[in-house]
Amino acid sequence: MAYSDKVVDHFNNPRNMGSFNKDEEGVGTGMVGAPECGDVMKLQIKVQNDRIVDAKFKTFGCGSAIASSSLATEWLKGKTLEEAEQIKNTDIVQELNLPPVKIHCSVLAEDAIKAALADYQKKAGSKTGTGSAQ
Amino acid sequence: MNQPSLSSGSRNVQMARSMCWHCQSEVAGEYFCERCVKVQPVSKETDYFTCLGLPRRLTIDPALLEAKYYERSRAFHPDFYLNKTEAEQAISLDNAATLNTAYRTLRDPVQRAEYLLDLEAGSAKTIRTSPPADLFEEILDLQDTLDAYRAGDHSSETGRQLRARLEAERGALERRQAEMEDELQKLFVEWDALQDRGEADDPSRMERDRLLRRIREILSNRTYVKNIVNDLVETIG
Repeated sequence: MAYSDKVVDHFNNPRNMGSFNKDEEGVGTGMVGAPECGDVMKLQIKVQNDRIVDAKFKTFGCGSAIASSSLATEWLKGKTLEEAEQIKNTDIVQELNLPPVKIHCSVLAEDAIKAALADYQKKAGSKTGTGSAQ
Repeated sequence: MNQPSLSSGSRNVQMARSMCWHCQSEVAGEYFCERCVKVQPVSKETDYFTCLGLPRRLTIDPALLEAKYYERSRAFHPDFYLNKTEAEQAISLDNAATLNTAYRTLRDPVQRAEYLLDLEAGSAKTIRTSPPADLFEEILDLQDTLDAYRAGDHSSETGRQLRARLEAERGALERRQAEMEDELQKLFVEWDALQDRGEADDPSRMERDRLLRRIREILSNRTYVKNIVNDLVETIG
C-alpha cells in the first residue's frame, strides 16, 4: 500500500508539531489513543474570544496518523469553536486519500479534536468569565 | 430454500445448520451427517472455542488445544476429499480454513483474550476505558527523546546521555510489560473461575463487567507500551 502524496507531504513536513503548556489559559488538550494499533495522539488548541488562534499536535504512530493530526491542526487554526466541532473524519479521509485500512487514523484525529474542545470548554466553564468571551 | 426473515435471521441459520445439506435429515453429530455421512459446514455462527470443542475459557492447556486441532484437521483436511463431490470438497476447504483461523487465534493468549472480549462484549471497542493520559504523556516525551537521539551525534556527550536515558526507559517499560502480563494471567484465572461458578446474580454480573473492562484496559495499554518498546529496541538495539 502506498501513501498518497498528501500523506507523504504531511509526514515529511508536519505542520504545527509541538505542544502548549496544558495549564495555560485558553489551551484545550485532547489526548487519545487507538488500542487496536497502539497509536497515540495529542492535539492542543489555543482559544481567544471563541476562536482557535493556534493549534499543535504530537503523534506517535503511523504516517497516516501523523498526517491526519497535522492536517487537523492546519484546519483548526482560525476556526471558531463551533466550526471546529463540524470537522469530520470523512473530510480528512477525502483530503488525504486515506485507504480503508487507515480510516481509523482519521477517526482518531476527529476524536482528538473533540477531546481538545471538550477540555477547553471544561476549563473555561470552571473559571467563569475568563477564557471565553460572551 | 426458505428466505430467512431479518428478525429471526440467526435462528434460521442455526436451523439450517442442524439439517444435512445433502439428505435433509437432522444432523445430530457434530460435523458429519449420521445418515449419509456427508461432511457438514461449520456454521459462521460457531465461535472458535466451540469449533475446537473447548469451553469458553481464557486459560487453555496448549497440549489439549493442539490435540483438538489435529483431531479436527484430520476430519476436514481437503486432501481427504479429493475423491468426493465438489460440494464436499468446498465444505472441507471452508471448514479447514475456519479451523486454522480458530487455532491461530486461540493459541496466542492475548489474541484469545481479544477474541473472547469480542464475543462477550460485542465489539471489544465498545468497552470504553478512559485513555491513560500519564502513559500517553510518557510515550510522547519518550518519542521526543528518541527523535533527539536519532538526529544527534551518537558519540557526543549529549548522545551518550540520551542513550543512557533511553536505556533506562526501556528497562522500566519492559518491567511494566512484565507486570501487565502477570496481571493479565491473574485476571484470566479470575474470569475462568467466575465462568466455572456459572452464577447469574447481580454481584456476578458486576464482577464479569469489572473483569472484562480491566482486561480490555490492560490489553490496550499493553499495545501502547509494546509499540514504544519496539521503537526503542529498533533505535538503540
